[in-house]
Amino acid sequence: MKALRELYDYREMISGLVRRDLRGRYKGSVLGFLWTFINPLLQLLVYTMVFSVIMKNGIEKYYIFLFVALVPWMFFSTSIAGGSTSVLHSESMVKKIYFPREVLPISYVTSSFVNMILCLLVVFAVLIISGFGVSLKALLFLPIVMIVEYLLALGFTLMSSALTVYFRDLAYILNIVTMAWQYLTPVIYSVDQVPDEFKWVMQWNPMTSVIVAYRDILYYKQVPHMSTLIMATVLGIFFVVIGYIVFRALQKGFAEEM
Amino acid sequence: MDTIIDVKNVSKSFKVYMDKGNQLKERALFWKRNRYEERQVLKDISFQVERGEALGLIGKNGCGKSTTLKLLSKIIYPDSGNIEIKGRVSSLLELGAGFHPDMSGRENIYTNASIYGLTKKEIDERMDDIVAFSELEEFLDNPVRTYSSGMYMRLAFSVAINVDADILLVDEILAVGDSNFQKKCYSRMKELKTEGVTIILVTHSGETISKFCNKAIWINEGEILADGPAKDVVAQYQQYMDDQQMQQLLKEEKRQKLLKKEQDEKFQKEYAVDTSGIPTPDEIRKALAEARIDITQNHFGLEYIQIEDAVIKNGKGEETTVFKNGDSFELEIYYKVNRPLEQYVFGMGFYTQDKEWIFGNNTQIDRIEIPHTKMNGVVKFRIPNLPLLEGTYLLNVSIVNEDGVPLDFYHCYCKIQVVSSDRSIGVCSIPHEWIVE
Repeated sequence: MKALRELYDYREMISGLVRRDLRGRYKGSVLGFLWTFINPLLQLLVYTMVFSVIMKNGIEKYYIFLFVALVPWMFFSTSIAGGSTSVLHSESMVKKIYFPREVLPISYVTSSFVNMILCLLVVFAVLIISGFGVSLKALLFLPIVMIVEYLLALGFTLMSSALTVYFRDLAYILNIVTMAWQYLTPVIYSVDQVPDEFKWVMQWNPMTSVIVAYRDILYYKQVPHMSTLIMATVLGIFFVVIGYIVFRALQKGFAEEM
Repeated sequence: MDTIIDVKNVSKSFKVYMDKGNQLKERALFWKRNRYEERQVLKDISFQVERGEALGLIGKNGCGKSTTLKLLSKIIYPDSGNIEIKGRVSSLLELGAGFHPDMSGRENIYTNASIYGLTKKEIDERMDDIVAFSELEEFLDNPVRTYSSGMYMRLAFSVAINVDADILLVDEILAVGDSNFQKKCYSRMKELKTEGVTIILVTHSGETISKFCNKAIWINEGEILADGPAKDVVAQYQQYMDDQQMQQLLKEEKRQKLLKKEQDEKFQKEYAVDTSGIPTPDEIRKALAEARIDITQNHFGLEYIQIEDAVIKNGKGEETTVFKNGDSFELEIYYKVNRPLEQYVFGMGFYTQDKEWIFGNNTQIDRIEIPHTKMNGVVKFRIPNLPLLEGTYLLNVSIVNEDGVPLDFYHCYCKIQVVSSDRSIGVCSIPHEWIVE
């Protein structure tokens, strides 16, 4: 509790780091934003080409089906893979001055989160302009899902950033892991398409319920199933607690390991 | 009293890796490589600091004082033992943490202060104080990369000192910055001290501690050797350091001696002894003119008589060139006569390294006559309490005749090193005391 209170005291540092990160990312305003947006856009283009033109999969408006899942997934994967070096890259600060080290992964995940919100604005623009439309009732649940995903991403980033201090090559390994993870998550396909004997993979994957919820809200325009929401929330809280415990245990050795 | 820092039985070791692999791949494949040595930096230390105290941590390099400071600032954690701290800590270990060169001074104040855990509101409240203290009003909106290193330090220090910490940790880094600002820093720290801020200062300068602190802890090789009033601890520490310096110099001298001995053996020359009649003053004058003696050389003379060896001994009769102020100093001049004269004058003197005379004396000045009696012998010179202050001095040794004609003259026979506990300025220690009424 005392540690959380202290973290709250350091809110200015977190917001300062987030602001600095975003400013760096969006330097030159519009062009800067486009640049960070080009990655999901390219992926969207490639997958759409492959799965709705070459290997027709029969999903209606596949590009929207994919887009509403790809943006949240990119937030999650950049958080854990990119955020894994958040502590390591602040070596000079960590070695020389005290502050709660959690500040570093938290600000990384937060700035990625802000980035996702900006990308979601583009998603909304596409939904409205294409005439696909949105359901306001379903949208009420979007913030909950976003917060749950934030917690989940934070939990994993706390772990990855702490472990990377001890194992430097984890940053590269995580790039591969998140790539594989994407295919184990219903991002480019739907859960229904998964054969029954592999459904257990979906159940064990904490990101499944989050992505399913996003898609329910934005693609199917319906309120997500209560079971999906509860499952996602429980997992989100569970992983943020685990991540925090792991980080706390490992952070004592940071200055010496660097 | 109110204990603000309580350090109990704290030990800390560092792992020194032979060849460290900090990749998963390396750890998995070459686990044998991860051999390391444990180096214990702190051995079971305990101390307490009361609120409003100024504590100095003193000790030579690598004694563990900086590690202690890092432990107090929670950058690293102890292996065993417990540290309890009440209140906000501001450390001046690393000034300007998180400074970004492209951002303006003002923005950097926000960033830097936020690392100390200040909220935006708290920073806004302190902004005027910080800016005023830094004296950088006109440069505040320029990017920090345009600052000189002095300006940079000033800005950083101004933030750190205005955090309103309960405990201020200061490393000797303060030595940077111009002397005016340094004075300002110290006077600000004194102010804070009277306001009840606890200050911990790490340095290896005893002076700073006795000036600024009321309590001091002397750490040596990870152990607390002394803990008490600053003056007493500093005195003990300085005594120890003087002894250490002495040891070091003696060791170096021993090495030099060994080297010299080897060389001497290589280049030893034999001189034939000429025992023909005693030359008249005229003959000497003539010889002097013919020999074209260059007195700007270090070693010159007619060599009718030769200094074979000059041995310098301390009070214990040990041969040395390293002395403590107040030691007994003894010079033994061993000579060999090549051509006998009626009388010889033996002399010695001290120069500073800049060749300034400090003291010079000879047997003629002291009205001692040394007529020719034998072909070789020894003359001794003794100073019971060597009054020289700390430094390196040149020893002059010479033999002349009664008219001052140089027979064998060394401007600098060797260097003498003096270690002094009297820290007065100059070359000579004069017994003194201060009376304050």
